[in-house]
Amino acid sequence: MFKKGILISFLAMLSITTFVFAMGDNLVHADKPNYIISTDATYPPFDFQDKNNQYVGIDQDILKEISKRENFTYTLKPMSFNSAAQLVSNGQADGIIAGMVITEERKAVYDHSTPYYKTGVAWIVKKDSKIKSLKDLKGKTVALKTGTAASEYGKSLQAKYGFNVKYFNDTDTMYNDVAVGNSAATFEDMPVIQYAIKNGVKLKVMNADNPGNAGWYGFFVKKGENKALLSAFNRGFAAIKKDGTYDKIVAKYLGANQSTFTGAKKDNFSVLGILKANKSAFLKGLWQTIMLTFLGIILASIWGVVLGVMGVSQNKFVRGVSTTIIYIFRGLPLMVLAFFIYIGLPGVIGAKIPAFTAGVLTLVLNEGAYTGAFVRGGFEAVEVGQMEAARSLGLPYRTAMRRVIMPQGLKIMVPSFINQFIITLKDTSILSAIGLLELTQTGSLIVARNSQGFRVWAIVAIMYLIIITLLTWFSNWAQKKLQ
Amino acid sequence: MSEAQVKVHVDKVNKSYGENHVLRDISLDIAENEVVVMIGPSGSGKSTFLRMLNQLETPDNGTIIVDGYDISDKNTDINKVRENIGMVFQNFNLFNNYTVLENIMLAPVELKKLDKVAAEKKARELLETVGLSDKADMPVSSLSGGQKQRIAIARALAMTPDIMLFDEPTSALDPEMVGDVLDVMKNLAESGMTMIIVTHEMGFAKQVADRVVFFESGKIQESGTPDQVFDAPKNERLQEFLSKVTHA
Ligand SMILES: Nc1ncnc2c1ncn2[C@@H]1O[C@H](COP(=O)(O)OP(=O)(O)O)[C@@H](O)[C@H]1O
Ligand SMILES: [Mg+2]
Repeated sequence: MFKKGILISFLAMLSITTFVFAMGDNLVHADKPNYIISTDATYPPFDFQDKNNQYVGIDQDILKEISKRENFTYTLKPMSFNSAAQLVSNGQADGIIAGMVITEERKAVYDHSTPYYKTGVAWIVKKDSKIKSLKDLKGKTVALKTGTAASEYGKSLQAKYGFNVKYFNDTDTMYNDVAVGNSAATFEDMPVIQYAIKNGVKLKVMNADNPGNAGWYGFFVKKGENKALLSAFNRGFAAIKKDGTYDKIVAKYLGANQSTFTGAKKDNFSVLGILKANKSAFLKGLWQTIMLTFLGIILASIWGVVLGVMGVSQNKFVRGVSTTIIYIFRGLPLMVLAFFIYIGLPGVIGAKIPAFTAGVLTLVLNEGAYTGAFVRGGFEAVEVGQMEAARSLGLPYRTAMRRVIMPQGLKIMVPSFINQFIITLKDTSILSAIGLLELTQTGSLIVARNSQGFRVWAIVAIMYLIIITLLTWFSNWAQKKLQ
Repeated sequence: MSEAQVKVHVDKVNKSYGENHVLRDISLDIAENEVVVMIGPSGSGKSTFLRMLNQLETPDNGTIIVDGYDISDKNTDINKVRENIGMVFQNFNLFNNYTVLENIMLAPVELKKLDKVAAEKKARELLETVGLSDKADMPVSSLSGGQKQRIAIARALAMTPDIMLFDEPTSALDPEMVGDVLDVMKNLAESGMTMIIVTHEMGFAKQVADRVVFFESGKIQESGTPDQVFDAPKNERLQEFLSKVTHA
């Protein structure tokens, strides 16, 4: 009983922590309107994190200036571009600023602001590439970022020039694929690539004077909604354009040198330097990963045991429910489930789900289904004679399960539990897709601004290994205690 | 046999597993204090029959009345009936997650027949009678087969049943262990327990059985006192069976 008490108070504490976590970024001043604005987490020079983990860039500075002048506050939701856009189209966020080009297709779904930046599509190759014209791309691979206007432009040239397409979720990985020669070329918005090259990315633009598909960036809200926000943006934009603030912002970034945002050079050329410069980011990411893992493991284990117990119920219907739940949630890829819960579900239930809650829920449903399957299997693996002996003494089915079958089954399952714990830890990295700033997403953000892929990912990998080691060590200790 | 004395009443019971007609129109009455030994070739339906008496198997049709309860009736609380029927299995089926003492105490305590103190006292007495007092706190995995089976008998007796079912209790034992288990069973028979025993130990059957029942092809082919069955068998298949087991 005593142990149960501890467990319960512990769970209560955890739920409070989760709640605070989830609510923390929603605490706002009541007198000003507060909007949720989504953005692309890694899209320099428009949107990216500086060395103090603040989101900066042309978009971000414009937004900040306008919010000051128009007297509103906002909660920023940085994530992958695609998720950021969907967040607005399904009402989870009020607006999006993310270097998003105004297109006819988007006009059908969103309302857009005054165009604020002229852009066009560049096509880009490796610095020392022998490719001279688009015709040379025949049979080669072209890297594109999912869901961007630049990628659509690239795709529209595919049939004509006969190249293959490979899709990426973030800019940095895509550039890298071209820089190392895996892909022959990529398409990107002109200012973005110019900024990247200025900052040392080893690529070159092939059509600087002749951008493809020239267009304009806009700020977007869901069609027919958030009219006040949209007009505030337009008014504010006109004002900063008029008084020269806008030009200063653009000059600040396109004339910027990378070290302005990432810290001194020496900080970025050693593991220790990177660790020191990004200490708080790494710690936050690490903590988020630990919290996700911890809550995921505990709640998924509880849910899994419930599913497992249901799976060996005497009642056919209850068994069927368990089997169905396990079948569905084991079958769904984790990322699909995360998107469904975070982006799809709110549209149906009409309530916003904080990313952290959505992340934990995703883990619980997915890992819980796997746990349920091996828990049921573990119960079934107990010799039938044990149940027959218990029943022959007059013990009811439930008592026999609880006192004889389950303790033996759980013992059989211990290695599966430990295995599932480690899988849960690794699966938390997939949740970066919904913008959770856990360890993997933290790594992506840091690489996006300092381009030190090798060192940063090495640090992240070692952090994972340390947690896995601690987790394994703890599990083995618990296993010994059990026996 | 008068009604009051009948402990087990089985009438025209049938059981099939798919196409396999395992029990055919079996009828049998067993009196209080009677020791019935069931013999017959393997696959003849002895276990199925025995397991029907405490509803580990259900008959397709027919009537089974045990201790006055009609267990073929769906409304009977089978757990109550089972409390009074002990069963001993060929493979012991001791609970692997408990010590010897806990195995014996589990059911009386869970079913609130006894409080913990009384259950432990009783368990220790039973261990004494089966000659294993020193094993009380051992995990069951540390016991030999013969010891396990004696513990299994003690576990069944802890519920103070008035019927005991044995399904080949010595078949999984090394020969030198068989005697200890049979001794415990003999003592139990002498104490007046109603017992139904499936076994291949013909010597034991001769000694303790009030009645021997011969199963073959899902039918009771012959039954009678040990003298009748072993020394003057009438049924041809029984004769054949006996010549096989005695010459083996
Ligand atoms: N659960 C079951 N499913 C299918 N067939 C069974 C099952 N239990 C027993 N049988 C079959 O019923 C017949 C009688 O088995 P059993 O009662 O165990 O015989 P005995 O105990 O006399 O050796 C055998 O043919 C056996 O294969
Ligand atoms: Mg048998």
